[in-house]
Amino acid sequence: MEFEFLLDGTLQVISLEKKDGRLVIRRGETILEADVETLSGGTILFLVGGRSFLAHLGRDENRILVSIGGERVALQPPDREGRRPERGEEAGQRGISLVRAPMPGRVIKLSVAEGESVRKNQTLAIVEAMKMENEIKSPHEAKVRKIFVASSSIPTGRSSSLNPS
Amino acid sequence: MFKKILVANRGEIAVRIIKACRELGIRAVAVYSEADRAGRHVQVADEAVPIGPPPATESYLDMDRIVAAVRATGAEAVHPGYGFLAENAAFARRLAREGIVFIGPNPDALELVGDKLRARSAMERAGIPIIPGMKSAAGEAQDTAAAAKRIGFPVMIKASAGGGGKGMRIAFAEEDLGPALEAGRREAKAAFGDDSVYLEKFIEDPRHVEFQVLADNRGNIVHLYERECSIQRRHQKIVEETPSVFLDSELRRKMGETAREVLRVSGYNNAGTVEFLLDRDRNFYFLEVNARIQVEHPVTELTTGVDLVHQQIRIASGEPLGLTQDALEQRGHALECRIYAEDPANNFLPSSGKILAYREPSGPGVRVDGGVYDGWQVPVYYDPILAKLIVWAETRELARARMINALRDYVILGISTSVQFLRDVISHPRFRDGDTTTGFVKKYFEGWKEEKPGPEVQTLALAAAALGGFDRPQRALPGGGREEAGASPWLSLGNWRIGGKS
Repeated sequence: MEFEFLLDGTLQVISLEKKDGRLVIRRGETILEADVETLSGGTILFLVGGRSFLAHLGRDENRILVSIGGERVALQPPDREGRRPERGEEAGQRGISLVRAPMPGRVIKLSVAEGESVRKNQTLAIVEAMKMENEIKSPHEAKVRKIFVASSSIPTGRSSSLNPS
Repeated sequence: MFKKILVANRGEIAVRIIKACRELGIRAVAVYSEADRAGRHVQVADEAVPIGPPPATESYLDMDRIVAAVRATGAEAVHPGYGFLAENAAFARRLAREGIVFIGPNPDALELVGDKLRARSAMERAGIPIIPGMKSAAGEAQDTAAAAKRIGFPVMIKASAGGGGKGMRIAFAEEDLGPALEAGRREAKAAFGDDSVYLEKFIEDPRHVEFQVLADNRGNIVHLYERECSIQRRHQKIVEETPSVFLDSELRRKMGETAREVLRVSGYNNAGTVEFLLDRDRNFYFLEVNARIQVEHPVTELTTGVDLVHQQIRIASGEPLGLTQDALEQRGHALECRIYAEDPANNFLPSSGKILAYREPSGPGVRVDGGVYDGWQVPVYYDPILAKLIVWAETRELARARMINALRDYVILGISTSVQFLRDVISHPRFRDGDTTTGFVKKYFEGWKEEKPGPEVQTLALAAAALGGFDRPQRALPGGGREEAGASPWLSLGNWRIGGKS
């Protein structure tokens, strides 16, 4: 049986099949044979050639997170329509990009104005979250087209702050 | 001894204090903001009282609400933990007026050590070495620039009212001074409600070594040795250990005696920490007194066998110190890693959100002081500390190995955390060699990225996701519920049971 996931934006196909009470995992050239124990909904133990791998799983709306032996893999469920979320950097190379605060917080200072030219890594705004000030920097050399927030004490969502283009 | 104590804090430290209360046969009252209704500290308390909306100023920092909660529950004492109202002299005075015991130092001592400038002067008069710098708060820009030149660049800008890295900035040259002062003042204002800052000489690449001290209400003072806290980011500690590899027994004795003297000079009681900076030539300078239980107190507990929170409670209830300096010894080596909700690959930006999977390490010599659990929504409003991982072993090298394994076993999924970063720090050859100075993270971990798992682990991760039934997008079900993961198409293939014999 085949399953599809996105890993770092690339589609991954694996096939699982049972053989003599074991699980045969195929991914491209890689073939692993494993004894499998599900310990609970979120924990699965693999024994591959006697080597032990304990996987912990977590998921939310758009991510499947797996931790194995202290290493973490972030997967996405395949998107049926084949759309991919646009990344700031990729969009930036096309000439427009949206700079977002990486976390919700309070905008305590806007360092630029609309129409202003900015250098790469120039500070655009200062956002306070969890009692720390964080500088929001420009991802590239650009001109600020539009500012979506005001410097105030109003908490921002995960949303916008500036728009260099 | 008290019968009931209110813990005016949240997260891991509230959990730790509540446990200490219960061990001493004291009922523990938790307080919680709306964001912490399901908090771990609420779960472990005997009683819990709501104290307002999520912002700290309207809940954990609101003295009226805390006092009302004390009244409503009949608690006799308040343990403030660290942060929030812990070092607030006005709060300590208010409680005293109301006949409630503050589990911490007396208000006069709090006021003295809380004012960094006054404390500096008092220590200087007592012959305790301080870092060269200003004796009063920075005023006009011109005068400050002149003072900076007198001290000599680089200079450190520090908040008069506080510590914990808040309001701290470095100016390497005159042109940095303006922006650094502005940022320092703004952060100081936000953190302490007081924007006064001062300058002192910036000591390059120092070590940060502090001494734990206990003083009862009768003038008995002991120190419980040092903690080395040099591994920092954003001027905040992330790894602490004891003993410090940098101290020999003579320097340790000298610094310990100085720490006791600092408390004597301050008229201090209860638990406190005297922070020192050590320069390359092993000169030490008084930095400040942290007038609270410290985040990193467990490493001291594991090496001295003294429960510091028990001691705080006993001292506050009027008991004499049951410890003498001669009887206190350090045994073995302890390390602590602070587990923060933050992204080390992205300038340590705080991260919030829901914890999707959580498993704490365990085993001989492993202690976790945790404040979170699987399914907990980490709020954006408070300090991003999730838990502390502390290990003890006979030697530093064994403690290091134990810590690396424990970090490997620590599973936190759903938010960014410092776990992987800390494992690389503890594994680093320079850390192994004890080359720990405050510049360590900048020097060796600038641009750090989490190592990508190899193809085998990736493949197993994909298989795990498939077996978990996670290959379809999650859909909302009518009635508001969510489709449960686990309804795997694999499981529905037939009479196959994973791991089963059939």
